[in-house]
Amino acid sequence: MKAGEIVERIRKNLGVPWRDASYRDTFKSGGPDTEVTGIATTAFVTLEVIQRASASGLNMIVPHEDTFWNDRDDTAIVQDDPLYKTKRDLLAKGNIAVFRIHDHMHAQRPDFTYVGSARLLGLEATHETAPGSHRFVIPQTTLGAFAAEVQRRTGARALRVVGNPDAKVSRIQLGVGYATPAINSRDVDVVISGEQQEADGAFDSPAYVLDAATLGLAKGWIMLGHVISEEAGMLEMANWIKSFVPELPVQLVKAGEPFWGPK
Amino acid sequence: MKELSRREFASLVASAAAPLVFGQGVAGSPAITADDVIARIKAQIGVPWKPETIDGLKAGDGTTVVTGVASTALATLAVLRRAADAGANFVVTTQPTFYSRADTRQPPSGRSGRGGIAAPPAPAITTDLPPADPVSAAKNSLIDERKLVVFRLNEHWRLRQPDPLADGIAQAMGWTKYRSLADPRRFDVPVQMLASLVSTIQNNLGAHGGIRVVGDPQTTVRRIGLLPGSTPIQASLALLPDVDAIVAGEVREWESVEYARDHVFGGEKKALILVGRVVSEEPGMRACADWLKTVTPDLPVRHLPAGDPYWRPA
Repeated sequence: MKAGEIVERIRKNLGVPWRDASYRDTFKSGGPDTEVTGIATTAFVTLEVIQRASASGLNMIVPHEDTFWNDRDDTAIVQDDPLYKTKRDLLAKGNIAVFRIHDHMHAQRPDFTYVGSARLLGLEATHETAPGSHRFVIPQTTLGAFAAEVQRRTGARALRVVGNPDAKVSRIQLGVGYATPAINSRDVDVVISGEQQEADGAFDSPAYVLDAATLGLAKGWIMLGHVISEEAGMLEMANWIKSFVPELPVQLVKAGEPFWGPK
Repeated sequence: MKELSRREFASLVASAAAPLVFGQGVAGSPAITADDVIARIKAQIGVPWKPETIDGLKAGDGTTVVTGVASTALATLAVLRRAADAGANFVVTTQPTFYSRADTRQPPSGRSGRGGIAAPPAPAITTDLPPADPVSAAKNSLIDERKLVVFRLNEHWRLRQPDPLADGIAQAMGWTKYRSLADPRRFDVPVQMLASLVSTIQNNLGAHGGIRVVGDPQTTVRRIGLLPGSTPIQASLALLPDVDAIVAGEVREWESVEYARDHVFGGEKKALILVGRVVSEEPGMRACADWLKTVTPDLPVRHLPAGDPYWRPA
């Protein structure tokens, strides 16, 4: 089966119109004519993911994020870097097609990134205030205990938390990737997401949470890291693709958390 | 600058308030206003003041008589309280005080995702509206009640050469003697294991849970590049090939983090150490306090670190 056929089936099954204007959801390596032996979904097309996918006989990689270290996968920025040549050569050698699915994954209902993250974190649908609200009311706990549970469930080595560990919390707003909700909503105690700039943005939650903590208000901000936040959803993505590409092996090949943190 | 105790600082403030101390720009009067301090900063910063800038007066009245100056990376409520208690009513911060780049006293409300939302105009107070955001309200009250003046100094401070934020980190790490002649952001330090470098950084920069590292802890590093603040992939592309490790404030994970990870998997001895934006800028704001002492020699000046915002579960 050719990569173009797989993309066609993705478009047909998506449930929302395909937007050709998306610069993200395009081929980054190979193309519609690449003959596919198997499909790997992942958060990032790291060198290691390419190697492991190849070793498993999977030569179409469907990542959620960029391949060449910038959102537009603008190769002009990186073309003089030897590491770009290394990566491009490895992709060519394995006859690997890379087709990114980002904008359409977030447009799809449900958005698998939220489904995957909620599953990973143990945020149950019965606790969600309304389907798709991504807001969960859980039995009251402390920010410290909740963050420890998040760390245990995700296995994150470089989890970051802002707020008073003793703050009593129960209303959790889930964000994904860089789409991090602001913490100043009245009906939210804790925001969990992947990544967000620390300051000088549209809303600087870390500074707000520090000040809220100084005032004794219960607010918390938990950053999982971009990969941990969104890679669980790529398991959902793999299962979904498998449902309409039964002819080929489809599996998640994890990029995994890139970080470690000192004790 | 050596950290002063609150009492020492208070005594400095007391002497500064004595009528023998005269401001340079206000002959015949001992009072130095916030406007005077701002004028001196603009005149002495060493780069032309931009017509369009994120820097400038963010809160308080320019006619306020300044009793002391404090610099910080982030003017949190805690920092402002400490400043007020110490008699430093002119606070110089490099990051926004009111929770957004817009840095207005009425911050944007509600959710913001990628790209964010524009700040809505401040509504007129009527009984129909919900109560004001309690955090913003408390910060505004503190500023009004203690007659604080908050001045943002970011772009212009960073335009000075060499980069005072990189310089600040080098000073905090004891690296100034190792500066590369070729690149002022690069330091060729004694060979050490990455793990031990990370632990020294943690101690010397006062970081807690905010440090995240890409790279093999056992690898050895010698050539260090500094990227304080927030930097795009272009900065890492330009620097990482020539150094063993980059110490950065904040980068985009889909950019520099994955770039560093691919280097490491490719077998190169490379590392990326992220310390967080505020932590990375704090030593540069300590250096700013030293500079401000030359700008306002007639006022007590101190640095008040905001601290690492992050912690990590045990």
